Amino acid sequence: MTRNARSDQLHQSVRRFATGERAHSFSDLALRITAFQREYSAGFARLCQSRQRPIESVDDIPGVPCDAFRLARVALQPEDEDRLRFYTSGTTSGARGLHAMRVTETYRELALQFGRAALLSNERAHHVVALAPQLDEPPTSSLGHMMAMFMVDFEQRGDIDVRTPERWLIGEQGVDLKGLERAAARASERGETLLVLATSFALVGLLDALDGRELPLPGSSVVMQTGGFKGKTREIEATELRASVARAFGIAATQIVSEYGMTELTSQLYEATVPGTALQREQHGNPGVYREPPWLRVVPVDPATLEPVASGEVGIARIIDLGNIDSAVAIQTQDRVRRVDGGIELLGRAAGAPPRGCSLAIEEFMTARAR
Amino acid sequence: MSDFEYEARRARLEPLLESARSLADASTERGQRARERLIASSGLSPQGVDFALARCLEVAPNELEIAALIRSTPTAEVAHVLLSANVFVAAHRAIAIALASSARVRVRPSRREPEMAELLLAGAPGSFQIVPELAPRAGDRLWAYGSDETLDEVAVTLPPGVALHAHGSGFGVAALAGPHSESEISTLLIALAEDVALFDQRGCVSPRVLLVDAPPAQVAELARELARELAQLDQRVPRGPLTTAELAELAKYRDTAQFTGEVFEAGLGFVTLGQAGNWLLPPTGRNVHVLPSSDLVATLLPYRPLLTSCAFAGQPDLGLALRRALSGARICRFGEMQRPPFDGPVDLRNS
Repeated sequence: MTRNARSDQLHQSVRRFATGERAHSFSDLALRITAFQREYSAGFARLCQSRQRPIESVDDIPGVPCDAFRLARVALQPEDEDRLRFYTSGTTSGARGLHAMRVTETYRELALQFGRAALLSNERAHHVVALAPQLDEPPTSSLGHMMAMFMVDFEQRGDIDVRTPERWLIGEQGVDLKGLERAAARASERGETLLVLATSFALVGLLDALDGRELPLPGSSVVMQTGGFKGKTREIEATELRASVARAFGIAATQIVSEYGMTELTSQLYEATVPGTALQREQHGNPGVYREPPWLRVVPVDPATLEPVASGEVGIARIIDLGNIDSAVAIQTQDRVRRVDGGIELLGRAAGAPPRGCSLAIEEFMTARAR
Repeated sequence: MSDFEYEARRARLEPLLESARSLADASTERGQRARERLIASSGLSPQGVDFALARCLEVAPNELEIAALIRSTPTAEVAHVLLSANVFVAAHRAIAIALASSARVRVRPSRREPEMAELLLAGAPGSFQIVPELAPRAGDRLWAYGSDETLDEVAVTLPPGVALHAHGSGFGVAALAGPHSESEISTLLIALAEDVALFDQRGCVSPRVLLVDAPPAQVAELARELARELAQLDQRVPRGPLTTAELAELAKYRDTAQFTGEVFEAGLGFVTLGQAGNWLLPPTGRNVHVLPSSDLVATLLPYRPLLTSCAFAGQPDLGLALRRALSGARICRFGEMQRPPFDGPVDLRNS
């Protein structure tokens, strides 16, 4: 069987798994994808070999460090088979990483399925806008692409044009407050649920632009916030940001839901805070606790040994994402996490080792290189 | 500078040099006591401390070097020194520069490594003052050593009229080109391994990357051989313990390199092999990233602001080209990266 035939078969299995057809367990699929990637990725094969023990369980799968996406091509297929190319951007590490996808259907189905579960809180029609810059063409930001998918899918109006300025409310002048007011008015008039998709940094920009004023949204509105601050000028602690945004929009803090995703992944995690959503009905979630979709598992590992830590202990996140069939099924992040009741608690990024003496820290090197 | 002034400056240096000489001598009580105290503060193994004192503490600089140091140092009312941690011998040079500048020298040691300044003062009582905080005034000069972040913080808190000589973080590279015999290569790699191992690579001149102008197979063989040399040196001069954060960086670096290239175990550290242009800065702790490069100058040029030192072995004209291109870096031979001439600050990037 050819590489692509095997890949297609795995994509089908994962999509079936996501819809509830569990012919294979999560572990079975993860190990099958591992074997497939080991065969077609020399880098991953070396990483597996270096562990000097058989890979028999999910916990044994070595995570590909996120840095590898900056330094090498992680995709299994040749470049001419790429159908989507997402680039990392704006991290303190400077150089951009690439996550290339050969099959887009799996990304689409997984993102939509869990997005619906986390964000759609009622049966009413939805209107979706993004506190984000206009989508580029072809899309290079996985987040922008996902937001555009949500606009089309959640509104259920057919093949609508999502590239209009009314949809993307960050422009050269900053946050388009008037545009957001218009979107809120439209949702109120039509009895729609307004869904605002935003980066954390855009929300800070919005609060700054409002300068203490309010911009009331319909009470049923949901705000999805995602992403860190990535070296931007101003940071706000997560709890404070949530409270400030809720106050500014005149909505309950539970209507604000955080998403955790990264370019290197196919799938996303969400808080289960929004009343009425499938995730929240399943189990009420606390802010700061992220629910994994059934096709993704976070394994907190010791940052030095990379061995799984005991449940409840803090580790850095190794993420097994069954959607990453043609790239890296296991990603090793530097995000500090802890497994708690109801999901994964995110505790921020592990700081690099502070330099002892005058040796150059790796972060300093990467930042300087990016200038 | 008048002869009188020169001699006055020279005289201020002598007690410090004498103090350093007695510290370097392991057979004296002072030398033994220094070793005990520095093991605790430096994070190096006992052998690592001894190795650093024996190889890097400037106990016998020649008169030309001393003259260069004195003549290149501007005068100050009071000379202040803010020391960084761990490359403990650096305190000696830093204080010497301050003594060349002024008869009144105030030193604030690193909180993590306060020992070396105290040890030097004990052997040269009264030659400078150790203070818990520096309070420079207009007309004074401050020589500050440390991370760029620390130096930025210092710069914004200084009162007007204080001259700041900031020496921030950086790293060293080694560059190998041209034909060399097997025995020459072996000698070069032994010397480079020592440059790497000194201070467990925590110095701003410590080599972190080796560039080789040679065919890929030869570069890979060199990487393997360097790993062997580092492993052997680790037997003789073991690496000190690493912090959890340092071990975490090591794990990330090893796995990233494993995915993108090749990894060779080198004692407790690693030598990694990348493809041309695929820069990966290894964490400190005796790790070296080896890269092929067919144009050493072009490869290094983008990193010039960060480069403090470059060991070079190859054709003299290429050495000259490197010297011209990397004007802020000390170009030296393999094995001499950690022993720059005692002629002023090690870091020449702001000179």
